[in-house]
Amino acid sequence: MKKLLCLTTGLVLMAGTAYAEDVWTGGDGLPTSPLACDGSPATLTASPYNGATVQNAPDLKGKQISIVDVPKLIGIGYFTATAKGVADAAKDLGNVDAKTDGPTKANIDDQITLIDNYVTSGVNGIVFAANDPEAIAPVLKKALSKGIHVVGYDSDSTPDAREWFVNQASFNGVAKALIDNIASQIGEDGAFAIVTSTFTTPVQARWISEMSAYTAKCHPKMKWLETVEAQEDNILSFNQANTLMNKYGDELKGIIGMTTVATPAASEAVKQANMCGKIAVTGLALPNAMKPYINGGCINGVVLWNPSDLGYAATEVLRAAVDGTLKPGDTSVKAGKLGDLKIVDGSVVLLGDPVTFTKENINNFDF
Amino acid sequence: MSHSPSQALRPMSSSALLKFIRAYGQETAVLLSLLVIVVVVSLINPNYLGPANINNMVAGNAYIAVAAIGMTMIILLGHIDVAIGALIGVLASIAGTLAVSGYPVWVCWLVPVLVGVFIEAVVGVLVAYARIPAIVVTLGVVSILKGGLITVTQGVWISNLPPEFLIAQFRLFGIPSPVYFMILLTIAAGVWMRYAPFGRAIYAVGGNVEAARTVGIRPERLTVGVFALHGMFAGIAAVLFGTQLQVIQSTVPNNLELTIITASVIGGVSIIGGRGTVYGSTLAAIFFSAVSSALVFLNISAYWLRAVLGVLILATVLADAMRRRQIH
Repeated sequence: MKKLLCLTTGLVLMAGTAYAEDVWTGGDGLPTSPLACDGSPATLTASPYNGATVQNAPDLKGKQISIVDVPKLIGIGYFTATAKGVADAAKDLGNVDAKTDGPTKANIDDQITLIDNYVTSGVNGIVFAANDPEAIAPVLKKALSKGIHVVGYDSDSTPDAREWFVNQASFNGVAKALIDNIASQIGEDGAFAIVTSTFTTPVQARWISEMSAYTAKCHPKMKWLETVEAQEDNILSFNQANTLMNKYGDELKGIIGMTTVATPAASEAVKQANMCGKIAVTGLALPNAMKPYINGGCINGVVLWNPSDLGYAATEVLRAAVDGTLKPGDTSVKAGKLGDLKIVDGSVVLLGDPVTFTKENINNFDF
Repeated sequence: MSHSPSQALRPMSSSALLKFIRAYGQETAVLLSLLVIVVVVSLINPNYLGPANINNMVAGNAYIAVAAIGMTMIILLGHIDVAIGALIGVLASIAGTLAVSGYPVWVCWLVPVLVGVFIEAVVGVLVAYARIPAIVVTLGVVSILKGGLITVTQGVWISNLPPEFLIAQFRLFGIPSPVYFMILLTIAAGVWMRYAPFGRAIYAVGGNVEAARTVGIRPERLTVGVFALHGMFAGIAAVLFGTQLQVIQSTVPNNLELTIITASVIGGVSIIGGRGTVYGSTLAAIFFSAVSSALVFLNISAYWLRAVLGVLILATVLADAMRRRQIH
């Protein structure tokens, strides 16, 4: 028992002395490319095409084609929205038969079996959101070898297993949207903190690095207090947000949630502490989880992309690839009502700026 | 039963103090560790002891403390339940589904408790009468519950919960309701286990099944009853868990069952049964949230929480092993 006590004391003391160092943002330390403060488009450096090539594809230019959309799973609001985008694009194009079919849980084995069945039964194109970038590659390569066009969205495969990938949002675009959003609410000299999943989650660490760089470039007086981890655990996120408020008191003006779990949990913490209007919360979040806070006026806005547009863009890109109007080396692609979309990193089509969900538009989204 | 807690009730002389520490040694250790953390961290940053932070620390893990009451009883009997995390997730989803379907709130609160009792009673029957080890039964139950939860909810979060359903957000005298649940249930369970025949029988069976049988206790029945009771605490914990925020996710926190088991073990329950109290497990649950909060106040990665807890588990189990060696 005494040992236990000594141990605890020791750990606390050690922690107190050894870790009172600089603010650790939680970024990944890789090079960053913050966007311009005024929103002028980034200069894109062209890189050679690194996608795959479809083999022995029949010439279907302008002809009726049948495609299948295979999301990570079906039955959740997010992928119901992407499926709607796929159907809308098919309707706008007029010469595409599209159907959506996916596993009932986000399971890579089920997804592979499903795609394999469609390859065997014969379709002209596949759009997919991969449950695993490596594991899905062989079945996609099989499709390509049989003349089937393949385009990814949301979650990529390895580049050599598909022709194009539609990326929902660039890392620096998300970073700019989040930091500009919080800056507009707490002012240029406000202090904010971050609730993330873990410091080792690649996507969050990348966003945070870009946010840190963008803050330094465009909002240099804002104070980044701290980044705390909360896994993808909503109660822990709630507790961590509370602890941040208690630790910093009046100094803390804003909280940014880096996961769709952390953002509503932080909003709830602010609401239950009666700090609506005093502490701003923004972050990445699904609209349905945020409706109580945004419609209730406690939270101004959160950031994500529009999943319907994502499915729409993937379908347009697939059609363009079939028609031959999108070729390796191109720097943009026409995507119907979405206009021209940029191509970066060889074979990645950018959907565009993230969407900010506010009181004005949040009720138009259901996912 | 040479270390029965009854020794603690005698007047305090120096030898009585010694006996108290022997009887409630681990509980005392957790309490003192908690005090050490509170003192040290509040010296570094006085905001740590602000009323809001105290509320958060005590309330933040209340659902874990409530679930750990039942887990403590299970471990006292020499069993384990690794399905508790998944069960809490399922019961919270049941409560939330009923709430958004417009059922009266008392139905939404009661049904998950009854379902919890039923499921754990079935587990108890399999453990007691079919004589399947509890870890095997509950591992099977985990798969059923987790798979079933994702299939039924399709991964969709339950939102738009009616405000009157959110019992964990109720406050009385500024103190969140989970704190009252935690304290009242802990004391009730502690007293019941000490004075009620059924409660005392848990220690008897956990200490020595055959001896308990010779004095007229029926261990099989007791086991089913204790599992059912454990299911009730799981149901209450699930309602507190599900009503703390305004959405119920179709997943539960990673390793929730481990956190609950850890609370029981660090609170002093011997992992092979027979000794320990629910006071210890509740103190341990508060201790966890105090450590978790302290890590933010001291700018330390939350990964240290796992490391600290791991060290504490080892120290506790070691201390328990040493105590046992002294007895035999």
